Amino acid sequence: MEERNSTEKTPCNNALAQRRSKSYRQSMRSCVEATHLAYTSGLLTALRIPRSRKAPKSRDITKQVDPDQVALLVKKEWQLSYVTPFYQFRHTQLKSYSKQLSAFIVSEKQQGLAIEVGQELGFKVNFSVVLGLAETDKDAETVFIQILSKQAFAAKDDAQKVVWSGWLTCVNGDLDYLRSLPLEFVSLPLFCTRGPESLTVLVKSWFEKTFDCCFGPLGINSTNLQWLASLWTGCHPTINIQYLKLVWTLPTLPPMDVTYTVHPQDAWELWDSMRQVDTTEDSISIDEVTGFIKGLQSHFFRHFRIDLSAGSLMQISTALGSSHHSGKIKIASPNYIPTILQLLTECALLKMPI
Amino acid sequence: MAKASNLTRTDLDSSFESYLSVSSRTSNRSLRVAEKERRKSQTGDPFVLALKYFSEVEAGTPCSGNDVLERNLVLVERVGLSRGLPPEAISVMLDYAMSLRMGGVMCVRVLKFLIPATVVPQEAVVRAVSWLCVGKIAISTQVLFLRWVLTVFDMIDSKDHLRAIYGFIFSFVTEESLSPYICHLLYLLTRRESVRPFRVRKLLDLQTKMGRQPFLLLLLSLYKVFYPELVTLALPSRMRSGFKNHNSTWKVALSAVQKRNNGQVSSDISLTLGLKDKTNSRKRKFHHLELPSLSSSIQSNSSSRSRKVFPLEQLHSFPQLLDNLHCIELPSQMGSLLGSSLALCYLDYVQDDSAFLRLNFWLGHALHEEFLFCSGDGGSGSSSEALHFLNRLLSTQHFLQEGFSSTEGFLYKFLNVWDGSLLRPQILGLLSDIPVVPSSCISQLLFEPLMQLFFTSTLFFKCSVIDCLNSMLLKWLTWHSVYALEDGLDISLNSHTPMNMTLSGFMDSVMELVRFVGRLATVGLQLEGCHSLLLSFILDFYETVCDMFLKYGLPLVVMPPVGVFYPALFATDPVSVDRLGYIMYRYKKNLTSAKCQQQETKQAFHISRQTYQEFNHYLLFMVSCLWNSKMFLPGMAIEVDQELLALSKVPEPWTSFDLIHHPAFLGCALDFHHKCWPERKDIDLNSIKAGKQWDWYPEFLFSQGFQGLQQFVQSSINRRSAAGINGQRGSQPTNR
Repeated sequence: MEERNSTEKTPCNNALAQRRSKSYRQSMRSCVEATHLAYTSGLLTALRIPRSRKAPKSRDITKQVDPDQVALLVKKEWQLSYVTPFYQFRHTQLKSYSKQLSAFIVSEKQQGLAIEVGQELGFKVNFSVVLGLAETDKDAETVFIQILSKQAFAAKDDAQKVVWSGWLTCVNGDLDYLRSLPLEFVSLPLFCTRGPESLTVLVKSWFEKTFDCCFGPLGINSTNLQWLASLWTGCHPTINIQYLKLVWTLPTLPPMDVTYTVHPQDAWELWDSMRQVDTTEDSISIDEVTGFIKGLQSHFFRHFRIDLSAGSLMQISTALGSSHHSGKIKIASPNYIPTILQLLTECALLKMPI
Repeated sequence: MAKASNLTRTDLDSSFESYLSVSSRTSNRSLRVAEKERRKSQTGDPFVLALKYFSEVEAGTPCSGNDVLERNLVLVERVGLSRGLPPEAISVMLDYAMSLRMGGVMCVRVLKFLIPATVVPQEAVVRAVSWLCVGKIAISTQVLFLRWVLTVFDMIDSKDHLRAIYGFIFSFVTEESLSPYICHLLYLLTRRESVRPFRVRKLLDLQTKMGRQPFLLLLLSLYKVFYPELVTLALPSRMRSGFKNHNSTWKVALSAVQKRNNGQVSSDISLTLGLKDKTNSRKRKFHHLELPSLSSSIQSNSSSRSRKVFPLEQLHSFPQLLDNLHCIELPSQMGSLLGSSLALCYLDYVQDDSAFLRLNFWLGHALHEEFLFCSGDGGSGSSSEALHFLNRLLSTQHFLQEGFSSTEGFLYKFLNVWDGSLLRPQILGLLSDIPVVPSSCISQLLFEPLMQLFFTSTLFFKCSVIDCLNSMLLKWLTWHSVYALEDGLDISLNSHTPMNMTLSGFMDSVMELVRFVGRLATVGLQLEGCHSLLLSFILDFYETVCDMFLKYGLPLVVMPPVGVFYPALFATDPVSVDRLGYIMYRYKKNLTSAKCQQQETKQAFHISRQTYQEFNHYLLFMVSCLWNSKMFLPGMAIEVDQELLALSKVPEPWTSFDLIHHPAFLGCALDFHHKCWPERKDIDLNSIKAGKQWDWYPEFLFSQGFQGLQQFVQSSINRRSAAGINGQRGSQPTNR
């Protein structure tokens, strides 16, 4: 007792510390980071919400990634979810995952029928790795999943029809967060799906049972839609965005939807005028983004006497892609995939419970 | 088999005798002696003779018109149905029946009265199964036999030999009318090593042939438990209940026999597959609050196939847990552990970081989705599932005596959006479980949101917040005292403390918490007009605080603020004043022993001079106010201008809070006055102050149950026996 009183202990950062200390250490983390917390209702998280981003640079992604695989990702609308880190997920085991998932789907579809794993079934599942999308060495490689259905009476050489596809990805994920995860965990926080809801539910349920993870819906809030609008507009000099379309919903009775389409050149000029505030070319700050949107809104107000800032931004689209409040995204051009995915990865990581 | 038929008479005799003596151990000794006498006098027990007959009878002996057979059979039957048959008799009769030495009819008849008294020898069953392989027995009789085995399964003395012939038993599964029973038997016998790919395939073939039969599915689902990578299936909810009982033939007789034999062995075969109790509530679109069911994971299975593992699904009792502690496998979804206290025992035992992390991910996700993201079906408040979930979480945390870090992280966020009424008891309960928060961020994470809620809510909320903070402090102090002790034993293990925190860091946090409650209490008492309920909760808190040094070994003493001390001292209910007395008494004890220790060891932990001064100040005031009837004097804590006092026209205002005139004790004083001078009509309380009465009056108060006051008076006031009316200030710890 007396000895303890005199000596001041140094905090122990030993990675092999006991579990009891561990549970404390994690709370430490949330405390430390909480100092950057933006306490807004709804979106609360221990991770930092970025206030500036790098300007998107057009980059031919097909140089790093197999063009066929890129073709699978672009020009389709994906529904977004977030998922907590996978326990003991191995990129080397994809083949066996394919077998297990297909057996699982069949057994769930036919309640009360036991299925041998690895048997030929009505469904075929393909897991594949999309190499090259990861930006840092902490990012896990993207995993692409396809479910093909076999027609019962189809000819043998008939191509199987893709009934569902989805992919799990992590691009430029928060390094501190990824580093804090133990080795047994793989974080692929962003899950994009396309296909019948019933299959999505089954795939999620299989992942939850197999890798002890949890899925939740991922919406894209107004701020992030504004980010996307600005990022895409900023691309206009390199790729013609053709139009900038924004959809607001105003809280009137009944609710009023306002679709606001801007000529690409006008949008770019407005954006460029905002950009001059900043001297560094590389980064875009949140102030520039809000300034840009405010500019659009005040222009609208001048003409129609409707203040759009009273409503909420629901959807934006350009020729480069579109994005909806409810968590739908479509990327039309492969050149800006990493920028968009980085933003979405951030959104997904902000949803992590720990 | 040969051995069984070679049973000699003496064999049977002696063993049966021992059986009898066992069964009648509880009965009257003289009765037993008498029975022995009677049996000795007989040439041989007819029952034993009957058994001998059945063990020796030649195959092919005719049974119709065979009086000897009939007599012996009736005898054994009667014993079987009334008392149950001893193990040897079971063995003999089963062999006799299954060998069909006298045909199928006899076999059925024997099987029907084969009620075991104690246990069934497993060799008998193994032999009977081998007779089954001969293939002469009628199918219906085979079914009867299997049903009998299933009924008495729990009474079979050991099962390892039966497991050794798993393959033989499995081969019967293709027999259509047998397979329901065979599957059930296999289900009871299956171990991890008995699950083989070819068996899985066989069962799946059967499934294609016979359709979705529950018995096949139940067996396959057990196979899935052991080897999820071999077979997968979704069990329909109607099938969750398990196998049917097949004990109808023997049920009545068996239970009668068991009741007679004190029912030591239970044969009630009830199997349940689904550990999960399905809530009957409406289907929710998102079921993040539903506990996942226990199931073994594919992952670790494939990696450790050679190692012996014990899936948690198979765990049903604590002894089982102890036996398999080294090879228990965690389930595929850690969330499922929350439902089972056995599993939680195990979780507490393995200090597995990633297991805890998985659990925290699941838990945090559920809490976030339900209460923060609200992506479920609209409002979360009304749902009883949320209530159920939080209660379960609370009981889990209490079981583990530790809060989960995901709960903690969730609470910090939730406090900012909480309305203070949604699931209040649960939320505050969870809040009191959080581990020590570093003093650098305690204010932002905890105090600011709590303060807002506190000042804008009802009296009862204020009380429950103080109560919550009190139990939080208690838990922190308990952790400290437990782990500080461990550290003292082994210094190298000092990363083992719950908070990984320096002592000074811990003290800072505790100090912050105590001061925060002081502020809350001060303003809360003002807002609520010194409500005695609130005051009572606040005094609860200070009862914890005043004993931190002596009870929990924390070298820290914090005095209550004036905003708590004076309202308690001037409270109108005697209970509060009494408790304040107790608290002051404990403060004094703590401070004096801290001072002693400091002087003895020269080890400098500093309870600051200011703390001593504060204490002395309070003590001085309390003694002079309660005992010496001195108040409002210059130099005291409360100074009031004499002229102002005169304006109030209260006679002798300085006496208004002494033990006699204090509003809290006025009733007692009147009572005492009445007892002293029952005949006096005009009441003069001041007369209590004189003479013997002043000595008696405190005693009278103490006898009314004011123990705290008693301890305070005895420790801080030197009463001069009779002479002095005014007590003297007692010895006080000073810092000089």
